[in-house]
Amino acid sequence: MTLKKVIKEEKTKKKSETFKNFQNKKPKVAIVSLTSCEGCQFALLDLGQKFLDFSESVEMVDFRLIEDEEDTGEKLDLVLVEGNPVTKENETLLKKVRKRSKILAALGNCAAMGGVPEIKNYQEGRNTIKHVYKYIQGINNLEIKEIDNFVKVDFVFPGCPINAEEFLFYIPRLLRGETPVIPDSPVCVECRKKGNRCLLLDKIPCFGPMILGGCDAVCPTAKMPCQGCRGLRPAGNIKAMRTTLQKMMTDEEFENMSEIYGLRDDLEDKLGETI
Amino acid sequence: MKIKINHIAKMEGHAGFMASVLSGNVKSAKIEVKEGVRLIEGVLIGRHFKDMPVIAQRICGICPVVHNLTSIKAIENAMGIVPTQETEKLRELLEWGQIIHSHALHLFFLSLADFLNIENDLKLVEKYPKETKKAIKIREYGMEIVRIIGGRVIHPLTNEPGGFKKAPNTEDLKKIVQKSGEILTEALDLGSFFQKISLPDFWRETEYISLSQSGKYAVYDGDIVSNRGLHIAVDKFEKNFLELQKQKEVVKKVEHNGKSYMVGAIARVNLNRSRLRQEAYNFVNNLGWKFPNYNPFNNILAQMTEVIQAICESATIAKQLLQSDLERVITEKYEVKEGQGSAAVEAPRGTLYYFVDIDARGYIKNVNIITPTAQVLSNLEDDIAVYIPGIMELNEKEKEKKLRAFIRAYDPCISCAVH
Repeated sequence: MTLKKVIKEEKTKKKSETFKNFQNKKPKVAIVSLTSCEGCQFALLDLGQKFLDFSESVEMVDFRLIEDEEDTGEKLDLVLVEGNPVTKENETLLKKVRKRSKILAALGNCAAMGGVPEIKNYQEGRNTIKHVYKYIQGINNLEIKEIDNFVKVDFVFPGCPINAEEFLFYIPRLLRGETPVIPDSPVCVECRKKGNRCLLLDKIPCFGPMILGGCDAVCPTAKMPCQGCRGLRPAGNIKAMRTTLQKMMTDEEFENMSEIYGLRDDLEDKLGETI
Repeated sequence: MKIKINHIAKMEGHAGFMASVLSGNVKSAKIEVKEGVRLIEGVLIGRHFKDMPVIAQRICGICPVVHNLTSIKAIENAMGIVPTQETEKLRELLEWGQIIHSHALHLFFLSLADFLNIENDLKLVEKYPKETKKAIKIREYGMEIVRIIGGRVIHPLTNEPGGFKKAPNTEDLKKIVQKSGEILTEALDLGSFFQKISLPDFWRETEYISLSQSGKYAVYDGDIVSNRGLHIAVDKFEKNFLELQKQKEVVKKVEHNGKSYMVGAIARVNLNRSRLRQEAYNFVNNLGWKFPNYNPFNNILAQMTEVIQAICESATIAKQLLQSDLERVITEKYEVKEGQGSAAVEAPRGTLYYFVDIDARGYIKNVNIITPTAQVLSNLEDDIAVYIPGIMELNEKEKEKKLRAFIRAYDPCISCAVH
């Protein structure tokens, strides 16, 4: 079943049914943000009424974007983590919320794959800071690492930013204690359904075939090639993809494009070599 | 005595506040930024210019549009690319859409509760369902504009140096025009609601800075002007404004003539109100303000004014675009050239400045990004230092509440400030 169909089915269920297993006791949820643009939180807020419905169906223990009350520090059923641990405080917070929560889900590309800040790892690493600051002493400048290097991650909402509709689809399952798996299907499936002409046919380098779908092919639909923010799909043929792309871009360009959303280290792992 | 707030919620990014007061005198008042450094300027160096708008817009999840636009304009200026008039109009419309949804978020969902003595937006929503609906509707209209033009709301996709990858379809542009009347009515209603809210009385003179243009209320283009007689072209920005980094500080604050200054909605309304559209002008006129207006809490009402302005402008621009050839927004071939370029656009929170230096292959040699929040943090601290003596009588909790409200009224964006 494609994601769209599943979403459609889920939408037709009544709200009470979707959330029925925890009607008596509302699950405790926190949304925390490490260093990031906070765009994934805003993607949630941008759902408007749908987000308010979600907020009312759970007990929102901590979501600093909408409330000014102190976090009580109580146990959580689910914590959503956005951003990347760039500071020591970020790292401590991440470990703390992991201990408090039954389920931890990464919210978006920065948490899951390192995001645009990870570019520094591929450049001058911790020396990149010298281009920005005159005084670098006393500034936290950790190497960028995905949050699963620090804590166990139970589920990933991929994307930069996340697809909020996808969030609404998986969240009830997570709250029921299930660990859903996003179907292994490339961006191309949704792209074709949209009736888009394949960018690769016009020799525009696009990572679509090796990247996990579920984004509604929002980028190629806007004629923006897929640059891989949702990460590699498990069954993608990366070697074949790389050969195809070699006809349209130099190795340097391939490398650069794979760095934007922190895909390069994952590609290297899969290809077993330095790209 | 010390006043310390660990974390200020309901604003973009992470920051706290610390002040020390000695026998009634404020010795220091400081916003403590707790955001990590993503080094966006650093990671852009050595990359191809085409990646710049994509990466730079990720500085901010609320105002990606303006980072995208400003980097594109700086690149175009560096390489001498002249976009079509249609492209510039479409970009301006995109920016107005951005201003609508960012302002609607701040004035209603982030700041309003402070003046109604509510600490949680879910409670605000419960207590003011009618107004909430209006705010959501207005916000959604702004988001819809960005979605129609940009392909999505957060981190839009179609805009690039030279033009757009894809033109919006006319049916969607018509929707912007058709809905504008209804949304304007909602905004005027919400405006009347805000008019009745009593905002704290506070006054401190400062310098207001914004873009300004003859004949229109500037957001996308113009010169940099102030209420103290400054009038310079955008490429003179770095000559006139000083970016300073103190040891261990991650925000490079900015000074003009050795002093703090203010940007954003309150600065723009002060400087450019005579160029507002009738509906917006009437709204601000009915507030009965004395100009220049130096109450920073009024930033919220200035934002409301701009929401009204933005709705009127959006409808007009969309109408003009419907009468033109939309294919002319599609990027034409251009030559990649070595060069330096600067640009400024009015972000929801104030003037956003970009500089870029590009080599002959199109790779970036140097970048500088100066955000609105980096520019206003010193002004905010100076304001608070004057504000604190007036609230010393209050108990600790109340004092803290007042300070949070003050800081939030500025609508700071800490992710932008650090970037």
